[in-house]
Amino acid sequence: MMQVTLTMKPRAKPFLPIEAEMIVPMNFIGSRELFVWEGNKKRRLEDVFTVRKEGNVNSPENIVVILRGDTGRVKRVGEYMSSGIITIEGDIGMHCGNFMRGGNIVIHGNADGWLGREMRAGSILCHGNAGDYCGSGYRGEKRGMRGGKIEIMGDAGDYLGEYLTGGEIHVHGNAGMFAGAEMRGGTLKIDGDVRIPAANMSKGTCIIGGVAHEMLPTFEKTGEKNGMVVFHGDVANKGKGELMIRQVQENSALQ
Amino acid sequence: MEDKIRHVICPYCGCLCDDILIEMTGGEISGVENACTLGARKFLDDAGNRLKGPIMRKGDEWVDISYEEAIDYAVKVLSEADRPLLYGWSGCMTETQAIGAHLAELIGGIVDSTTSVCHGPSILAIQEVGHPGCTLGQVKNRADTIIYWGSNTIEAHPRHLSRYTNYADAYFFHNAFRERKVIVVDVRKTVTAEIATEFVQIDQGGDYHVLSALRAIIRERGGVIPDMVAGVPKAQLIRVAEICRQAKFGALFFGVGITMTGGKYKNIRNAIEFISELNRYTKWTISPMRGHSNVYGSNEVFTWISGYPFAVDYSRGIAFYNPGETTAVDILARKEADAALIMSSDPGAHFPRVCSEHLARIPTILFDPYPSATTHLCTLQIPTAVNGIDAAGTAYRMDGIPIMTRRFMETVYPTDTKLMQEIYDRIRKVKEDA
Ligand code: SF4
Repeated sequence: MMQVTLTMKPRAKPFLPIEAEMIVPMNFIGSRELFVWEGNKKRRLEDVFTVRKEGNVNSPENIVVILRGDTGRVKRVGEYMSSGIITIEGDIGMHCGNFMRGGNIVIHGNADGWLGREMRAGSILCHGNAGDYCGSGYRGEKRGMRGGKIEIMGDAGDYLGEYLTGGEIHVHGNAGMFAGAEMRGGTLKIDGDVRIPAANMSKGTCIIGGVAHEMLPTFEKTGEKNGMVVFHGDVANKGKGELMIRQVQENSALQ
Repeated sequence: MEDKIRHVICPYCGCLCDDILIEMTGGEISGVENACTLGARKFLDDAGNRLKGPIMRKGDEWVDISYEEAIDYAVKVLSEADRPLLYGWSGCMTETQAIGAHLAELIGGIVDSTTSVCHGPSILAIQEVGHPGCTLGQVKNRADTIIYWGSNTIEAHPRHLSRYTNYADAYFFHNAFRERKVIVVDVRKTVTAEIATEFVQIDQGGDYHVLSALRAIIRERGGVIPDMVAGVPKAQLIRVAEICRQAKFGALFFGVGITMTGGKYKNIRNAIEFISELNRYTKWTISPMRGHSNVYGSNEVFTWISGYPFAVDYSRGIAFYNPGETTAVDILARKEADAALIMSSDPGAHFPRVCSEHLARIPTILFDPYPSATTHLCTLQIPTAVNGIDAAGTAYRMDGIPIMTRRFMETVYPTDTKLMQEIYDRIRKVKEDA
């Protein structure tokens, strides 16, 4: 086993974003020099974090990277990671777990936007809330998350699982507006409430355990299952997606 | 002495009307013909309202400084910043915008235009599903059905109707005014709604629902639609869908009433997909009602330089684009920027309070001929010649047609193009020397 602990140092301009796609377990094998970007300045990893390495291994499965301190502005941690574990003790910045292909990320605080963007495999567990576009694709991209699992213990922001194509997202709290928009596969499960779910979905399954507000008029009610109403749609695009809802908002101003 | 100047371009809104007639008396503008009230005021209010020269904030006071000192300050601030934001660009010419984009690359900054607070969502939607558009000349001569969605055109782009749609003569119609149908969709009965053949009043935030319902009806799946959708009776939706299907050539124009509410780009995407659906039956096009005179130009220029239309982040030397992350409002709300250059725009009047507060905290350099709400936030304001009055250049009309604006007055002010070029050259030299 090898444990790498990265503790954020105090910064003169704490609001500057840090781009740190090199923080993936594999990169800590050996003693390669690593760089991050703080605004438009390239910095050595050691200038931004206090780095402590314990143990020595030569394969990434046995590496645990721990991020400590004020990491809410650190972006792209775990990008393209394929194995090993990243544990974030506080909050994490945008694009954590971008294009992930394996391994685990555990976030004890909140995650900012684009968590697990276009991930293919592996798992992300966030104990706090997730920002907008969790499990979605990049702008104009036709596919979001394609495999793996994201679990959010708190709430998720808007456009959760936009273009979801495979894998599973489970949010224990509420989600914002347009969860599962353009869904084309995979499973999106929200235990709480949501606004305008599954807009323009073409395939996949979206399950809402709470109240669906402002339901779209273009879903066809096809029956009931496990105490939930089952819809098919979105008929605006001949979609064959399945949308299951515990409760559709009554007297919706929009219906 | 009185002088009349013909074919002047109005530099106010995205219509860029090119038939304005200006009367000059004693070197000042004394009369304007053909322009709407907005355009006329742009010309008539010019005299006596400009700043005399650059002003710099020193403590609680404004101090007059020279252009040379102003440029020194800008060069210093911008070349030292860790995350400079270069924002605005919709009121200046493409020549200046191009220098702005190159400057962003040189200093590792972010260049964003007012697009991010008006039609940015339209661009995001176009990046998802494309843009079936056309020029305004096509609409004028061919369109028999017009939809204005979330746009109070009579008040925001007053001459759009008389030059291109409802009141315009058309090559292919005998009596265009009688033969054209106008559908207006809005959340309240606007002045524009009063001239509509069909007015569709929807509940706030219901645009997406209504568009989805229309798509389903066109797809022959109207059976699924409930009796009311976002305050609109199903019977009316069926009627509107039929008018659209019967059109020989339709044009949908949409404004910020739909791009800046609820689902933003999702609304526009749905509108584009509605238009694609109609194109199975007949010819339809869709176009955004761009606001500022040259906001479209900023998208063209940034795209040909960086590959992206707005919100371009050069902090790592290569262009990165992600609205929501690299857009001016988000950068300021997150307090990321440590210096700002605002070019011919007024974020102080339009941005959320947190953003204005941040602009007031950091060194902010404003290029604007007149005092504005942003003057109160900036550290330094540099007045320039006014584009379309005493400075000329290229601007893009809302349908993407480039038009040369005219300079018809002598000036003592430097143009923004000249000032930006000087700042660029000086910073480049600083970087090369380092
Ligand atoms: S419609 Fe626009 S461009 Fe035309 S005169 Fe009025 S403000 Fe100027």
